[in-house]
Amino acid sequence: MSPGAFPDVAWAGLAPELVMVLGAVVLLLLDVQVKPGVKVLWRSASAIMVIALALGIWQWIVTEPGGELAFGGMLILDPAAAFARLVVLVVSILAISAGRSLFVQLGNRAAEGLALVLLASAGFVLMAASQNLVMMFLGLEMGSISLYILAGITGDGVRSDEAALKYLLLGAVASAVFIYGVALVFAGTGSLGLVAIGGFLAQYLVLSPAVLLIGIGLITVGLCFKVAAAPFHVWAPDVYQGAPAGIVGYMAAVAKVGGFAALARVLLSGFGTFRADWALVVAAIAALSMMVGAVMAIISTDIRRLLAYSGVAHAGFILTGLASGAPGSPSVWFYLAVYTVQLVAAFSVISAVGGAASSGSALSDYRGLYRRSPFLAIALSVSLLGMAGLPLTTGFVAKLGVFLQAWQHGLQWLVVVAVLASAMAIYLYLRVIVTMYMHSPTTDDPVGSDRPTFWALGFATAVTVVLGVFPQPLLKLVESAIYL
Amino acid sequence: MVELVIFVLMGSGALAGGVTVVMARNPVRSAMGMLGSLVSLAVIYVVNLAHLVAAVQVVVYAGAVLTLFLFVIMFIGVDRAEDTSETIPLQRKLVAGLALVVAVGAAVLVWRGRFSWTPAAAESVPIPNGTVQALGGELFTTWVLGVEITALLLTIAAVGAIALAFYRRSGKASAEK
Repeated sequence: MSPGAFPDVAWAGLAPELVMVLGAVVLLLLDVQVKPGVKVLWRSASAIMVIALALGIWQWIVTEPGGELAFGGMLILDPAAAFARLVVLVVSILAISAGRSLFVQLGNRAAEGLALVLLASAGFVLMAASQNLVMMFLGLEMGSISLYILAGITGDGVRSDEAALKYLLLGAVASAVFIYGVALVFAGTGSLGLVAIGGFLAQYLVLSPAVLLIGIGLITVGLCFKVAAAPFHVWAPDVYQGAPAGIVGYMAAVAKVGGFAALARVLLSGFGTFRADWALVVAAIAALSMMVGAVMAIISTDIRRLLAYSGVAHAGFILTGLASGAPGSPSVWFYLAVYTVQLVAAFSVISAVGGAASSGSALSDYRGLYRRSPFLAIALSVSLLGMAGLPLTTGFVAKLGVFLQAWQHGLQWLVVVAVLASAMAIYLYLRVIVTMYMHSPTTDDPVGSDRPTFWALGFATAVTVVLGVFPQPLLKLVESAIYL
Repeated sequence: MVELVIFVLMGSGALAGGVTVVMARNPVRSAMGMLGSLVSLAVIYVVNLAHLVAAVQVVVYAGAVLTLFLFVIMFIGVDRAEDTSETIPLQRKLVAGLALVVAVGAAVLVWRGRFSWTPAAAESVPIPNGTVQALGGELFTTWVLGVEITALLLTIAAVGAIALAFYRRSGKASAEK
């Protein structure tokens, strides 16, 4: 594009994001002008997300296999971006449904909370679709800053504040590391667009790639922080523990989708020619994440810390697929889609049991949960079994996919580590399930869940089981997301 | 040659300013360190022919934002004693160890990657045109999406400030005990 010419605006391609962003603004204005009840705001936000999902599905259908560049090469609207958008939207709708009691408890802050959820989702979709490193940074910040605020949005309780502040400070450092890496990559290649960088590196042999390698490393570190891969995971347990229960699952899930989509794009599409240099580092991070996550989760006594560390392990599993450098990494996309749904479901149960605005959920609170609420216990069990990767759940297909992909691309040692970590992880998930079914409850008070939570959990459970038994439709979907 | 001298001078100025921001006990001194860092960066921008960016840097950041910082610091009070005792055991040793690992890693990369001051893509980068017209043109054509997203970022920041600070003071009791 020649400078001075206005770039082609892909209105249709960005329709879901436009709906989300405009919807967020409308929610805020409604709150100021009309002051409707929280229920109305919640319904409006849900409606906006459903419209965005419908548009997202339409965009998924019409997207060309190779994708098209939009906004003068700032974004690439390809199947991978469309798929990431679908995952983000489904996760957001589940989280908004299951989080209704949180927004009701937020009272006059509900509009802000809902608007931030919408904006964060739009930000992470933009991050997944960005073809330019500066755009990627802006999408990352748009999502992350919304999440920092959401972590502390209840505004009372020291732990919630601590979680928000910790997330903000460490997130800011990670963003700084990322942008420093972007600057070095620009110095090394002379461009910020990933396609241009890939083209440059394919065309020229870089004789002194030190600056470029440090840049790639810093970008990887910045994104690994966002997806909570070891050793950049230390924030995750504290943030998951302190942030309001109704939103933690959402925070964890969308950050992982955006982060891994960006990581896949940077490493595969931008620096594919440097795979020999980054694959070993990514594999090492993956191995460390899996072991640290599994070991630390086993010794956790708070179910949220347990899930945070299990999230670290899952980041490792996903990185295992990514390290293989397989074109498009379909197994990574499948894993992301099914894991984020399980994550949101697990935290929805925690929110129903412990209270949507609560911080911290001791494992002992889950003693005998089956007798207090069979539905919640079953929903949590299914999502935990899915995370454990038991056969007949989506988790099994996902794990098998990344392991196979890594094995075929010569990372056998990593697969051995991954299988060991999975075996350890099964113990920790079973420990929670045993607590729920075998132990006698401390109180006999039944735990209820409201209707939206019921539907969200029902959907997540059904997806985990049905797609675990018949994974073909989703596998086909992700295989068409190959973009390299 | 002149460029290199200015870069080294101003680069170390910016670094020293940054270190001051983190290390200074007195917050006013931190703010002054930040001022030094920002002005040094502005000079580097001038050397790189980005005159408008340099001017904006001085006027907006060094002028407006830093004044705001100073106001806030003065409002809170600079004489309030801060508790700077560290509660995490071995924190310093751990950080020193990690810093060493990072330094060694960077050194290995520089050594293995045959570090060169001339970037690989030196000839493909056009000479920047830092005039207001060129910058505005670039900003609102090539980077128009980025400008819009930045506007959204500011919206998010404002929404967050209201959600976190405003309602807290108005004392809306929330459900958590």
